[in-house]
Amino acid sequence: MRPIGFSSGALAYADFRRGLSMLRHRDIHALELSALRQNELLPLVESLDGLDLNQFTHIAVHAPSQIDASAEENVVALLTRICHRRWPIILHPDAVHDWSLWKNFGGLLCIENMDKRKPLGRTAEELEEIFQRVSDASFCFDIGHARQLDSTMTEAYLMLKAFGSRLRQVHLSEVNTRSKHDSLSYESILAFRKVAHLIPESVPVILETPIHEDQITSEIQRAIESLPLCQDAELMR
Amino acid sequence: MEMSRLRQLEDRLGENWRYINSSREKSLKMRAQLKSAVAGIDSEDTSIVIFGSLARNEFTEGSDVDWMLLIDGSADSKHLELEQRIKQEIDPTAKKQPGPEGTFGNMAFSHEIIHQIGGEDDTNRNTTRRILLLLESDVVGRSEAYERVLRTVLQRYILEDVGFCRGSARYQIPHFLLNDFARYWRTMAVDFAYKQRTRFGEGWAIRNIKLRMSRKLLYVSGLLTCFSFHLGFDERLGPLDCQRSNGPQECIERLRSLLRYTPLEILATTLMRYKHLEPTARKLLNAYDEFLGMLCDEEIREHLYKLPPEEDQSDVEFQRARKLSRKFTDGLIELFFDDKSELSELTQRYGVF
Repeated sequence: MRPIGFSSGALAYADFRRGLSMLRHRDIHALELSALRQNELLPLVESLDGLDLNQFTHIAVHAPSQIDASAEENVVALLTRICHRRWPIILHPDAVHDWSLWKNFGGLLCIENMDKRKPLGRTAEELEEIFQRVSDASFCFDIGHARQLDSTMTEAYLMLKAFGSRLRQVHLSEVNTRSKHDSLSYESILAFRKVAHLIPESVPVILETPIHEDQITSEIQRAIESLPLCQDAELMR
Repeated sequence: MEMSRLRQLEDRLGENWRYINSSREKSLKMRAQLKSAVAGIDSEDTSIVIFGSLARNEFTEGSDVDWMLLIDGSADSKHLELEQRIKQEIDPTAKKQPGPEGTFGNMAFSHEIIHQIGGEDDTNRNTTRRILLLLESDVVGRSEAYERVLRTVLQRYILEDVGFCRGSARYQIPHFLLNDFARYWRTMAVDFAYKQRTRFGEGWAIRNIKLRMSRKLLYVSGLLTCFSFHLGFDERLGPLDCQRSNGPQECIERLRSLLRYTPLEILATTLMRYKHLEPTARKLLNAYDEFLGMLCDEEIREHLYKLPPEEDQSDVEFQRARKLSRKFTDGLIELFFDDKSELSELTQRYGVF
């Protein structure tokens, strides 16, 4: 079975402690700690030692999605403080001003493909340019963004074909026409299945769907249906 | 930068296709001009699409600029304002405005283009927009909406072609797509007669010669694109197995890659493959170059536009154009019924019955 978990920010907006508490006592072993806004990063980094994260076998940290050029060095310095944990750092490429600052993260840096509003990092071709700048970086495949860009999933296929060897994590959600994350619809589940076989079973899937606590179990079930493993896919036919 | 197949063929044959080259230069210039004129009007959900001679890189002084605001996103009352702004920017740059049918020069939503393939709701206008999007279009500016729509249309032609998807047919040809290209070609031919009637003969000669040359070339490029799945005309693209698990996505991407080339490039790519068809290549491209030369000459163009139908037999320019079109058709028959390649077999099976 795939490791499937949640982004703390999707469960509780700007409140990683609450997001974390919603996952307690559940059979969930993958987590993304979200610091999507710049001012969330310092409190997150400083509280890590005090958090009980024992239930998780996969943990990632989502770097701020927008970074002021003047604050970029500080953001990199804060993230460097947690490097010893060997957690992937999920980064939106459009947040970067100076790629040289990010090179030292090596494979821990996990570049996410972007939604259609963004000026770069949306397609395999655009990602190629980014991976040329940070050649050791890994890949966070946001399947919702890929579908929003191309509902035939051809672009998703091209990205996985080109960067499958770098794949470290998957972001799963519906991305609506306003580029907001939403819970999984039947239509998106059907689309995601088209490329599910290209995602290895061991790669953790992080749900970014903004749902209530009582929807966690059903959303995980939808995630399993979205990205079935080969034998499950046969059963679903 | 990769050298175009047309240029390679020109070099190989030792020809100088003066008008093909000059109209290509003009097209690139015009595209750049339009791009800067409409910069910032489009978005991730709207693309400004060009069609016709400009998209085919065959633009001449007398050409019109056919454009469309393609919308693939939430409906917004502001789209009308976008349309008006584009009109203000584009229309003054061209000598002629888009045709009176309303197929171009306005906005179009992706929904009809994607969903209405065949059936009563697939109007003449919708078919025209869809097929021309595939065969002779490009964007000036942002391409996100355009690419999404094209891929989704191609997905329909691939996934709904059961024989093609299953690989059960003898030849790997996207039959559904090919049939729609063929249908459009016949629609254009029938519409020629319709326009002759409804416009009381105005512009019939120029339309006639375009039907015999550039419109026919469009159909030819569609046929060759479909045939190339089986024959693999373009060695720049690797082998393809549609039955694999990623088959549909690979097919969509292959078709999209092929259709990025202009019709003349698609024809040249095919001709480059068959060395024994060099005389045919010369016949086809020389005729086409001379045809573009006639269109480049404003006097001839105007003369043909005004020529009354009853003067067709006696008019020197029209007869010259007819002769070129016969040469072009002869070349196409040599190409499509060539026994040394599989083209003849494919043409008989898919182009005739």
